[in-house]
Amino acid sequence: MIEVNHLTKQYGKIKAVDDISFTVEDGCIYGLLGPNGAGKSTTMNMLTGYLAPTSGTVRINGHDIQEEPKEAKACIGYLPEIPPLYTDMTVQEYLLFVAELKGVKKKADRLTDVEQAVACTGLEPMRKRLIRNLSKGYRQRVGIAAALLGNPKVIILDEPTVGLDPAQMIEMRTLIHDLGRTHTVILSSHILSEVQTICDRVLIIAHGKVAAQGTPEELAAHLAARGVISATAQGTKEAVLAAASSVEGLNDIHVTAEKADEVSFTASSTSGEDLRAALSRALAEAGCPVLSLSSDTMSLEDVFLQITESDPAAQQEPTEQEESAVPEQLPEQDDTSPVTGDEDKKEGE
Amino acid sequence: MTAIFKREARSYFTSLIGYVVIGVMIALLGLYYSADCLIYATSDFSTVMYSTVIVLLFLLPALTMRSFADERRNKTDQLLLTSPVSISAIVMGKYFAQLAVFVVPMAVACVMPLILTAFGTVSLTSAYATILAYFLLGAACISIGTFISVLTENQIIAYIATVGVLLVCYLMNGIKSLFTSGNTLAFIVFCVVLAVAAVLTGLACKNVTVGSAVFCGGAVVLILLFKLRPTWLLNGFNSVLDALALFDPFVDFVGGVFSISGIVYYLSVIVLFLFLTCQALERRRWH
Repeated sequence: MIEVNHLTKQYGKIKAVDDISFTVEDGCIYGLLGPNGAGKSTTMNMLTGYLAPTSGTVRINGHDIQEEPKEAKACIGYLPEIPPLYTDMTVQEYLLFVAELKGVKKKADRLTDVEQAVACTGLEPMRKRLIRNLSKGYRQRVGIAAALLGNPKVIILDEPTVGLDPAQMIEMRTLIHDLGRTHTVILSSHILSEVQTICDRVLIIAHGKVAAQGTPEELAAHLAARGVISATAQGTKEAVLAAASSVEGLNDIHVTAEKADEVSFTASSTSGEDLRAALSRALAEAGCPVLSLSSDTMSLEDVFLQITESDPAAQQEPTEQEESAVPEQLPEQDDTSPVTGDEDKKEGE
Repeated sequence: MTAIFKREARSYFTSLIGYVVIGVMIALLGLYYSADCLIYATSDFSTVMYSTVIVLLFLLPALTMRSFADERRNKTDQLLLTSPVSISAIVMGKYFAQLAVFVVPMAVACVMPLILTAFGTVSLTSAYATILAYFLLGAACISIGTFISVLTENQIIAYIATVGVLLVCYLMNGIKSLFTSGNTLAFIVFCVVLAVAAVLTGLACKNVTVGSAVFCGGAVVLILLFKLRPTWLLNGFNSVLDALALFDPFVDFVGGVFSISGIVYYLSVIVLFLFLTCQALERRRWH
């Protein structure tokens, strides 16, 4: 169980992470989603105790990372954005070193631990190779194997699939999925499909703030209800349109197709309610049988784009559509200064 | 700590740098040993150590330059700092690994006086006391180098800065002689030190008033001292310079004096700089 409370990290005047709170239950795969420079890596570095937060607390299985760092860190396996590998060691040497670092006391235990991690990540053929000579994909796997050592309850992976080829990506996802059965996993990504397929819950970060959180379905459904309805009804164009516009909260009605006595149109609701029932009733009462009626569901991709594209600096004239699409959790953004990539900030230290 | 120690020590010997440091050190010790002891037939082994002390200035920074700078550059410090290991254990692990490399030429040096006993009477106590002082001096240099290495992520900068600092310490006797005349110079130097300290305090607290207050308070004390007790100022200044003369206590040992204060001095330098290293590492988490 990971509890994050009002986590904030400030670099000079720039807030890289601004008041983020969330809780990850045991046995859950939690996804941090956000564009580059949104504060994902900074958040993860604070979760693992690499950076100290400006304010706020992180508790891992009840241990505060600032007050009891040793106990808290013992519960975490961390794969940072760039796997921290010593390139002058072989895979086997490196993993044995990490196991010892993680506090696995007996040599026999370390060997079995490494054995398991190697089997889990498919590194068997690379064991005796120098890390220097490994490809990006294998280095990433070594990083994951290292994170598994010492049997931590929580595994934190920062962009685990970056730089992998498509086949490796699928393998990595399967691996993470398997890990989720026995561990609590937090992963960050800017790839939506990945998060959508692997994660149980998603937290979208934009400009250092929590933009939305929930299950992938919830996030998509939340917006689908507000989205666009497309319908086809029988009757004259005038009668159908009159009936549709009589429904309260439904506007932006556009006729998309007309043939014989069928009229197809799209309409959007701004109030947030699902108006399909009301529309169908109104059309039926007007004597226009409904032939088809569907709500255009938004993929997580749409949600993501709508939420993260509302860049406080670039957003001069937000359209109504964009505003309505942003869930309530989205905090006001007028007080944030534009956030640059967190890599830039690290260099600027 | 043992894990880090083992890894570091091994990496010094897989990357050649350990062999280079040990090789050059032993070669120079051997050179002076054959020249002083074997050819000129001196029984005083401490002169060999005295002649080779300058080697420490250039060799040990090569050992220390990578210790933290390299970790930071390759981001492997993320592994160490997110592991259930305390910061002091990380620093100690790395420090002892560097000492382990330095111990090898010292062990060779320990054999040298024994060979001399075959040719006549040799004061072994004096020889081994000098080797001990030499080792402690080297250990102090390593701790200074480790501290400088934690401040940068560039090995070259770490090397040059460490050599520079050690060189100033080495030349401190000469530098000190520049300052013996007149209290005004001491006053000016103290004022400069005070100004730097005030600026640093101001920056650390992000507060101009605090910095100015420190400077004003310090300036008042300095002016009072300068007017009322000018000799205090000069003596204080000289003792500060004395404390920076890292190589002086070693010279005492070469002269045949077993100075406990020298040993305490080296141990305090080691502890101080390792402590500062821990602090610098901890501080980086906050920025």
